[in-house]
Amino acid sequence: MALMNKSLPVKTVRKPRNVTINPPKMCQPMGAILAYMGVHGCVPLVHGSQGCSTYPRYNIARHFRESAEVAVSSLAEDAAVYGGAKNLTEAIKNVKSRLNPALIGICTTCMSETIGDDVRLISKKAIAPDDTMRIIPASTPSYVGTHLTGYDNAMRALVETLAVKKGEPNNKINIITGIINPGDIREIKNMLRVMNVNNIFLSDISETLDTPIMPGGHKPLLPDGGTEPFDIIDSANSLGTIAICRAAGSAATYLQNKFKVPAVLAPAPIGVVNTDRFVQNISMLSGALIPDEIKKNRGRLIDSMVDVHHYMYGRKVAIFGDPDLVSAIVRFCAEAGMNPTVAMTATKHKDFAPDIKAINTEYKTDTQILEGTDLYEFHEVVKAQGAELILGNSKGKDVADDEDVPLVRFGFPVYDRVGVYRYSILGYNGSIYLLDQMTNAILGHKYDPDKLHQ
Amino acid sequence: MTTILPECDIPIPQRQPHIICHDPENILLPMCNVQTVPGDMTERGCTFAGCRGVVGGPVKDAIQLVHGPIGCAYYTWGTRRNLSDTKLHRKYCFSTDLTEESVIYGGAKKLLNSIIESHELFPEGKAVFVYSTCVVGLIGDDTEAICKQAQEKIGIPVIPFHCEGFRGVSQSLGHHIANRTLFEKVVGTEEPQETTPYDMCIVGEFNIDGDAWIVKPLFERMGVRVLSVFTGNASYSDIPPMHRAKLNIVQCQRSSTYIAKMIQDKYGVPYINVSLFGMKQTAEALRDVGKFFRLEENAEKVIAEELALYQSGIYHYRKKLEGKKCFIYQGAPRAWHWMGPMRELGIETILTATTFGHKDDYEKIMEKANPGHICIDNPNALEIEEYLVKLKPDFFIGGLKEKYLTYKLGIPFINGHSYEEGPYAGFEGFVNFAKDIDVAVNSPVWKFINQPLEAK
Repeated sequence: MALMNKSLPVKTVRKPRNVTINPPKMCQPMGAILAYMGVHGCVPLVHGSQGCSTYPRYNIARHFRESAEVAVSSLAEDAAVYGGAKNLTEAIKNVKSRLNPALIGICTTCMSETIGDDVRLISKKAIAPDDTMRIIPASTPSYVGTHLTGYDNAMRALVETLAVKKGEPNNKINIITGIINPGDIREIKNMLRVMNVNNIFLSDISETLDTPIMPGGHKPLLPDGGTEPFDIIDSANSLGTIAICRAAGSAATYLQNKFKVPAVLAPAPIGVVNTDRFVQNISMLSGALIPDEIKKNRGRLIDSMVDVHHYMYGRKVAIFGDPDLVSAIVRFCAEAGMNPTVAMTATKHKDFAPDIKAINTEYKTDTQILEGTDLYEFHEVVKAQGAELILGNSKGKDVADDEDVPLVRFGFPVYDRVGVYRYSILGYNGSIYLLDQMTNAILGHKYDPDKLHQ
Repeated sequence: MTTILPECDIPIPQRQPHIICHDPENILLPMCNVQTVPGDMTERGCTFAGCRGVVGGPVKDAIQLVHGPIGCAYYTWGTRRNLSDTKLHRKYCFSTDLTEESVIYGGAKKLLNSIIESHELFPEGKAVFVYSTCVVGLIGDDTEAICKQAQEKIGIPVIPFHCEGFRGVSQSLGHHIANRTLFEKVVGTEEPQETTPYDMCIVGEFNIDGDAWIVKPLFERMGVRVLSVFTGNASYSDIPPMHRAKLNIVQCQRSSTYIAKMIQDKYGVPYINVSLFGMKQTAEALRDVGKFFRLEENAEKVIAEELALYQSGIYHYRKKLEGKKCFIYQGAPRAWHWMGPMRELGIETILTATTFGHKDDYEKIMEKANPGHICIDNPNALEIEEYLVKLKPDFFIGGLKEKYLTYKLGIPFINGHSYEEGPYAGFEGFVNFAKDIDVAVNSPVWKFINQPLEAK
């Protein structure tokens, strides 16, 4: 039924606006902190006002339900006049003397960039030349890009600062995660383990931001887990780099250009075709065969799609979030026979529109493409195009409530439901979970219970 | 010596004057309201947070427009649980979303257009509050002139708040800026439709999780007319007539005494400090107000009615909580607001800390503290952890950023900023508070912390 509407011409007049209303995007330091949090022994240090560390910490706490220790150089009026060198120098010294980290990952802010602090020079002077602690200088002003570009900039800064070619290949594959959940990372690791492929995750929050409570209530000074700095150094010797989110993949391009490590920038592994491609890429880079267990998981995904296709065929779904996850979910929804009506991302990326257009051509869908915009516009287009289901982070709740449709939560941040960070929506297994969530949301929302008896 | 240098602070001895062990023979207050030690893992936020997040943000029918890059607007979108009976201020987030181009060429035009567009799209907004972030202060946009121009164009008040994040040492300056701006630009611009001899404002009550909905009716039942609540569940139109109150009572004495003082100085309206937490303090506040308005009997009647309803609940929880020890770490006033109520539950507060307390906050803490009480100004994450491990309180009342650290240490926690299942104010709210403490402390989940898994 819903698919019939797609033949109608779509006319959504979108007036350009100056004001942004309900942005599903955050600023660069937020993403940069997440990149740093995935490195073992790395303390993020925000060079800016105190709000610039406090707000991201708050977001991490409410999404992951974990504490996140982030340092800040506490810039104030005097820095606006004299520059922030004194504060940054003192901050580096204090973080080193109290936490003795392997790395300090610096994120700049609106303020430090506008006053023009030379972070590389200041941080070089702040530590002794023979100091083993390394400082990662990422440029992440909030007036450029979004949380996702912040992640990308910090990840590239990590690799640029640390990676060294040794000559001997390490027979590993680099995986740049982008902003995904601990559950997602565990699933990708599981796939690589089943395929017997050694790996380096750039970076890995699966333990640092999903920590256990251990007997006696002991908490280490810096969280266990995360990618070891020597693995980031070694990333220059890998067989290749796969970026799960292309928008966070500039470190892969850097490794390719600088060290000839092949970069694979492909769609995120969600759904059948995109996960197939991911598995094929791993196989291509590593020479690994595709084992039966992977094929069985793929078969279970197809089985799960077959099981629910009567419920889901033609279901209108509107999706917002980070570009690579959204476009991969749009394809998966199309594969499952659903009707993706709106695909929206606040972070602009060159692959987003071509991805959606290709899906529209292949599946004869008419998914509207919204890029670099806000949830106010998303809502307007949802009203025009229709949606029986919304997919997005917690900020989609009001849109879903106003349209009286369920919201299936994915992305960052999700703070009004528990446990979302624990589960994967990536890979064959994650896709099964995502489809089940979508189906159960439809079945749980005013679905005639009589029709659920078979 | 009553100052302490915890182990984690040995490399930064400048923290020592901020940490006090209370000695009634030799009362010393922690050094406070000064710049944070850079890199000390502070829990502090910025001036923007105090202005937008705390004082200005709760005004429910103002378009809350953040002039700056996107982050600052996003992070204050519906976060603090300052509830209202309308949707505008928590459901919508407005930002000029400044980009590099604006940083180079200025954001004036974008701001002007954003104000006009917001008004066109949300005509239900009765005013536009424009908050400046760091970068706006640095590039020098003349927000005063732009807001004036916009106001003439759209015909509703457009109020600029100069609350750039880098100003001051903490959120505290942001409170002051919000108070001063609202006093100078809004209070007194309109007269109330009518006045009565019993007009009062509740100042510094932000309706966290519905606190104002509990405390406001208490005074109304006494026969007091609450002219406005500053700013919990407030309409913009509640603020202009504040100068015609006969009395202001101040609940949050850190963020909002400023406006009560300014109204007193300019319009001669007296104010009194109150604590609307706990049975005794709330009763005392009602009595003080009753005395002022000569409504003593009414106050006693309301107190008696409330105690009849809720005192048994407090006795119930006291039995389960007596003898417990707690830490309280709040912005500032709730640290001392809650020390007395804890004693009503048989709980002793062995450590208090505040993010942005001033001298008067610490005086109020020391008045209530027992010898040996530890008091920390602007604590950082490492100090909090060290004291949680060393002193092992039975529970910790802090904010979300400290919550999960505390859990990992196996210590029960209550979110005192936005509450767990509030409201916590007034008589009824104190029962909710006691219940949340009981839930935290007496849940069976904690017993597994000390049950390691061993092979049989």
